[in-house]
Amino acid sequence: MAQPGGSECGNQPVDLSKHPSGIVPTLQNIVSTVNLDCKLDLKAIALQARNAEYNPKRFAAVIMRIRDPKTTALIFASGKMVCTGAKSEQQSKLAARKYARIIQKLGFSAKFKDFKIQNIVASCDVKFPIRLEGLAYSHGAFSSYEPELFPGLIYRMKQPKIVLLIFVSGKIVLTGAKVREETYTAFENIYPVLTEFRKNPQCINLIRQLDTEELSTACFQALMRQL
Amino acid sequence: MESSSRCQACGERSLVTDEVTENLVCTSCAVVQDYSNFQAHIGGFSGPAGTYIHTGTSGSGSNYSYKESKIYKAGVLIDDLLFKLNFSVSSIAEVKKMIETITEGEYGQGDWFSIFVGACAYVVRRKNGNLLPMTDVAAIICCDTYELGRMVNRVVSFLDLKLPEFDIVYLYEITLRNSPSFSGIEVDKKEVMLKQGVFLVQCLIKWFVTTGRRPVQVVVSVLVFIGQLNQIDVKMEDLASELNVPAGTCRLRYKELLERLVEVAKALPWGKDVTVKNIVKFAPYVFQYMEMKSMGNGQKAIKNTGEGGFDMTYFVGDCLQERSDNMIESYRPCEEEDDFSHSTEQEQSHTFNFTDLDKFNISPECLNVVYSKFKEEVFDFRSTLECGKENRKRRKRHDDYLDCTDWWKGKSELSKKLSLKKMLEKDVGMDVMPPAFINGCLTYQRRRDRIEAAKTRIKKIMCPSHAGSGEGNDHCLSTCTIKEKNKKKRNVDVDWEDLIIETLLLHQVKEDEIEKGVQIKADVVETHGKFGNFVIKEVNEVNQDIEGVVDFGKWLDDKLCFFLILRLFPYSHISCAFDRQTGTCEGRTNKY
Repeated sequence: MAQPGGSECGNQPVDLSKHPSGIVPTLQNIVSTVNLDCKLDLKAIALQARNAEYNPKRFAAVIMRIRDPKTTALIFASGKMVCTGAKSEQQSKLAARKYARIIQKLGFSAKFKDFKIQNIVASCDVKFPIRLEGLAYSHGAFSSYEPELFPGLIYRMKQPKIVLLIFVSGKIVLTGAKVREETYTAFENIYPVLTEFRKNPQCINLIRQLDTEELSTACFQALMRQL
Repeated sequence: MESSSRCQACGERSLVTDEVTENLVCTSCAVVQDYSNFQAHIGGFSGPAGTYIHTGTSGSGSNYSYKESKIYKAGVLIDDLLFKLNFSVSSIAEVKKMIETITEGEYGQGDWFSIFVGACAYVVRRKNGNLLPMTDVAAIICCDTYELGRMVNRVVSFLDLKLPEFDIVYLYEITLRNSPSFSGIEVDKKEVMLKQGVFLVQCLIKWFVTTGRRPVQVVVSVLVFIGQLNQIDVKMEDLASELNVPAGTCRLRYKELLERLVEVAKALPWGKDVTVKNIVKFAPYVFQYMEMKSMGNGQKAIKNTGEGGFDMTYFVGDCLQERSDNMIESYRPCEEEDDFSHSTEQEQSHTFNFTDLDKFNISPECLNVVYSKFKEEVFDFRSTLECGKENRKRRKRHDDYLDCTDWWKGKSELSKKLSLKKMLEKDVGMDVMPPAFINGCLTYQRRRDRIEAAKTRIKKIMCPSHAGSGEGNDHCLSTCTIKEKNKKKRNVDVDWEDLIIETLLLHQVKEDEIEKGVQIKADVVETHGKFGNFVIKEVNEVNQDIEGVVDFGKWLDDKLCFFLILRLFPYSHISCAFDRQTGTCEGRTNKY
């Protein structure tokens, strides 16, 4: 959906001074919190609003959803609210305002205090495979690669403090940012590291294009080396 | 006490205890109080010794306090678990020390403690280089691997350790040595299997089969393959349950392993005949080829040759000279297996031919020609004799396999454990991309194609002058063919991805974005899928009954474009009403 505040980089050429790698991570999820500053009767909210679910045995908050921007909110009795699922900061704020308005309409004196983005999750694809074992070995201090538990490598960057999940397919997930620039910086920091552990896909594609039958094994081998 | 009670006579709060009689006396009127001499002895060394009550006492008759019994039980649990995990005395001591340090001598009780012991055991073994798979530990302490993994992470971060990487080669070695499935094999054969396996595992690491995959499953698949290669009957299910891993994943890895080997075999002159089904038969030659490649020093060749060409003779030498005897030896029985194991004069003459080849400097290209020629001849020969039945019987026999000692030399460095860097430098005749990466590329390509298809469809709708009456059916067909593939996955009657792509294109979303698939998971499927399916179902029924479908098709086509452009299908007014009710509609932009 072409959302109004959607990924702004979508229809513009990439600014290479800002993103030297030429790749801009796509924001996937924004988590924000806001204080409605009034005590809420969750049962009443659950009964009145049709887009809300509340099961106090399972979770002590009302789960409310709206369709535009497509988000989910957790509303607690203390008046605190968590809004998740937005694709940009503006959307997240807009969604949070909408939830606040819904609560107001249900008869509570909800305000809109201390809106804060808590987490930004972004993803991107570097389009080359990454040798995770090598990366884990040379960046052991920051990375944890446990194939028994998780297929990706978890890279905990110190500056900016971002966690990156790096997969062998070249797909990267960046999380833990409070502002989107942190995500971008983290990606620009990691990109040169990843290129160290890349395999050159062009080489393989070229060889695949060649008809192996026409080539003797020897030629095949030599070509491979030369490329 | 003085402040709380009043004097019976004067009512003042001035009662004190007489030190001699221990009676309460009022200081203002000096009346001795009737009150009994009871005083609550709460604490203090002067108080009488009462019954000591403490929660968690191990009961009357036992001398152990809560803490002591807790530590005792913890010790028993630790001993029990470590015994089950086959720990040596020294490593038991190490684990105990680690537990004591982390819990500060308090140990613990409850489910978490056994997980904690398991985690410490895992960390100690891994730290010392003789690793134990997490699945084994989890099976013994009866917990989830992820629970154990989380605890391992906590232990590692608490002690600030740096664990060495998971050594899959070592895991292969110990599994082969200790597994009951391989217990009845003589030592020499086991050694050969060990080397073959290490070689194969390292190749798999090189080919990205292990990267990001669970190592135990890969090891199981390699063990099964090596077992087959050496005519040892090992069932994947047995081996998987022995190592406490699901057999399904092992089967997947096994399939990948076979596919990789088939890929390598393509470089051989008879490569096109090798398939996943017969690769086990061909494996000796593939292994030999890979071994040879890994031993050949290709770097030299590049130095020797100029930029433009390469030295054919060197490579031919690389392939044939060193080990031509093996190559030709192996070549002969391969044909026998693959085609027809007739020991006829004709074939004999060919084998002699091959031994003569030794003298010439022949490229695999020539070998290829010779091979195909030979194959044709044998085909003719076979058709004249028409004795297929006997062939089939013979081909079923398992003694077609070469004895492993014949072809396996184990001289390659890859048969020994190497560091990752060295391993990657080695060449085993093939270099592939990780499956996840290839799949990713294919997905992009598929989306790209769909975008193109959607574009042409849109174009046709926008310029109806080009579109004839039959065109509408074409579009329908394109979605129907794709839908068949995905039928198993989703229970939807139409491929929504196509429609969504169309919609997105109409909304001027950038094609790159669509390719990434970010937008495709949008809520269209969730919210409007039901209605769409209903319409399509209706349409299908109508199509079956009425013969004059063309008009109806046109109408439907119109309607569908209309829907796509509107995006919010007819029941948008319902959703608006719903939104209004819950107050969500105020921010809704009037896009449509």
